[in-house]
Amino acid sequence: METLYYIILVPMVYVAFGVFFIGTAIRLIKIFREPKHPTTLQIFPEKKPKWLWALSDTFLLPTVRKHKPVLWVFLILFHVGILLLIIGHLELFGEFEIFQIIPHEVFLGKGFVGLIVSISLLYLLFRRFKSPVRELSVPEDYYLLVLLFLIVIFGSQMDWARRWYEYGELDVEHYRMYLSSLLHFQPELPYEITDTGHSFMLVLHVFFANLFLMFFPFSQSMHSFLSLPMNKLRRGFVYGQENT
Amino acid sequence: MDKKTRDDLLKLFQSKLNEAMRFYLETCTRCGVCTEACHVHASMGQVRYIAAYRSEIVRRLYKKYFKGRGKFWPSVGEAKELSEIALDELFDAAYSCTGCRRCMVYCPFGIDTQQLMSIAKLLLIGANTEPEILTLLADTSIEKGKSLELFKEGFLEGIKRLEADVLEKWQTEAGTTAIPVDVEGADLLYVALAGAHSIIPAAAVFNAAGENWALSFFEAVNFGAFVGDPTKTKLILDRIVNEAKRLKIKEVCICECGTAYRVMKQLAGKQPFKVSAITEVHARYLKEGRIKVDKSKLNGAVTYHDPCQIARNAGVIDEPRYILQHLTDNFRELTDDPRYNWCCGGGGGLVAMGEDTLDFRMKSSKVKVDQVKATGANILATACENCHTQLSNLNDHYDMGVNVQFLSSLVADALVR
Repeated sequence: METLYYIILVPMVYVAFGVFFIGTAIRLIKIFREPKHPTTLQIFPEKKPKWLWALSDTFLLPTVRKHKPVLWVFLILFHVGILLLIIGHLELFGEFEIFQIIPHEVFLGKGFVGLIVSISLLYLLFRRFKSPVRELSVPEDYYLLVLLFLIVIFGSQMDWARRWYEYGELDVEHYRMYLSSLLHFQPELPYEITDTGHSFMLVLHVFFANLFLMFFPFSQSMHSFLSLPMNKLRRGFVYGQENT
Repeated sequence: MDKKTRDDLLKLFQSKLNEAMRFYLETCTRCGVCTEACHVHASMGQVRYIAAYRSEIVRRLYKKYFKGRGKFWPSVGEAKELSEIALDELFDAAYSCTGCRRCMVYCPFGIDTQQLMSIAKLLLIGANTEPEILTLLADTSIEKGKSLELFKEGFLEGIKRLEADVLEKWQTEAGTTAIPVDVEGADLLYVALAGAHSIIPAAAVFNAAGENWALSFFEAVNFGAFVGDPTKTKLILDRIVNEAKRLKIKEVCICECGTAYRVMKQLAGKQPFKVSAITEVHARYLKEGRIKVDKSKLNGAVTYHDPCQIARNAGVIDEPRYILQHLTDNFRELTDDPRYNWCCGGGGGLVAMGEDTLDFRMKSSKVKVDQVKATGANILATACENCHTQLSNLNDHYDMGVNVQFLSSLVADALVR
């Protein structure tokens, strides 16, 4: 068991991050080095400044809000939640003054961020069981949502235990010890990480997160990087021309 | 399908893969926001007419042959082998899509279904299973470009016969030609369609505005674009570009044909002349006071159908409305937002395929009929040959009781001194 824990918490994490960073970089380079589309792909009427509207399209999803308002609420909750969770994890490496503009106790959100993201994920998953999204979906779509749900539920569970059930054995200090040791390539697994009541949850959380990271560059999750350039095309950006 | 054929088809697929196409193929999350976007789905209800579903037909082949995943984990994205059955599916997807790009307005990423369908169309050409009529028409256009001398005599004779009709609409001074052809140094080259209705009203308006114009030898329509053949599209386009250059034209004016306008405007690249739609030119004449029109000529409520390739896809939106303000006090919009206008259901080569697609065109455009009926208008104007044909077919089929008119004809009929 100890060996399995070690494999998941140390070498597999390195492999997952390696695949994630290198895979994403290679795939993006490959895509962006393709020849540009020679003509405009714009939708009219035009609105200026184009870049601002492209940013709005990318981050506020106005077309989803207009046509599928309920979906929009969950999509925004999910994506903002993910952003907050990423910030939360960065804080598990060490202190970041910039994130403490709004003073909070790590992990931020008092456990509710994870809860909201879990619920959003369930919504996103269950809506795929219904026609017509059911016919449109492919296995990848379900795998990703199930994987994310498992990651978030096991991760949140540790937070919830500390916040809501006064479970104190596994603390922020221990995460920091573990994660910064990984960062400095001197892996260290404190006793609290591997041998307390919630270690099991932690190992599962890390295991599923590793799987997700390794699948990311090859999946539709790449939309996180491609959405903005695509929206720029729709707003009328043409390569090699002045685009205002 | 043998290996050689498949490899050849995959080479064609590869040739379409530029940056934008990769975006479109990699990104779809199958969220289903585009469900309500397609007029075919809205009219007929089948899932296979949802934009994301159409795109997935192409994307499944991409996932099989152009992603590493396709080799060791094809099932994760339902990657699909390129086979005869796949070609049938591609045909169904591509030739039930009019390329109106209404779905692109809905998609949170802005995936261009028309672009993805152009892959399907190219593969169909490679497999010799494209609609033959479209290739035939494209080849005829190209042939005409190659051997202009053979066509010239007949063309000029035909034009001569139309001149009396032009003069009936607008009497020019004695000694001037009603339909000038082959005029070096003309300001404007008008590219019409093969048909008197596309030439006579336009000529009358040019003459009324005192334009220094010439009629092109070639018809505007680009069947190469309909059938999705990039080489033929370019050859057909080049005939006009070369003529304009030879005559040192300042402005190429495209008749009421959506595809022709968009192809010329966006695909011709940098040229010594500017490209306008006839609608833009007419709006300019009105603005500059070069022509005057009489409002009393039109009776009843008028609505205007924005041709997808001219409005949503090329931005000519305000000009037709400006013209209609001068023609009537009773104008009614089809939609609040021009981006959401329903396609007439005739684009993408469907009208050009004629009777073969008639049944489908009628069934798939029910929403367009409802949209027109809701305005209560009795005159339905538009500025595209395809739209005009399709809307006229709909008018007959659904007994809509509207009068389908070309916007340019309305202008010509209302001309006053």
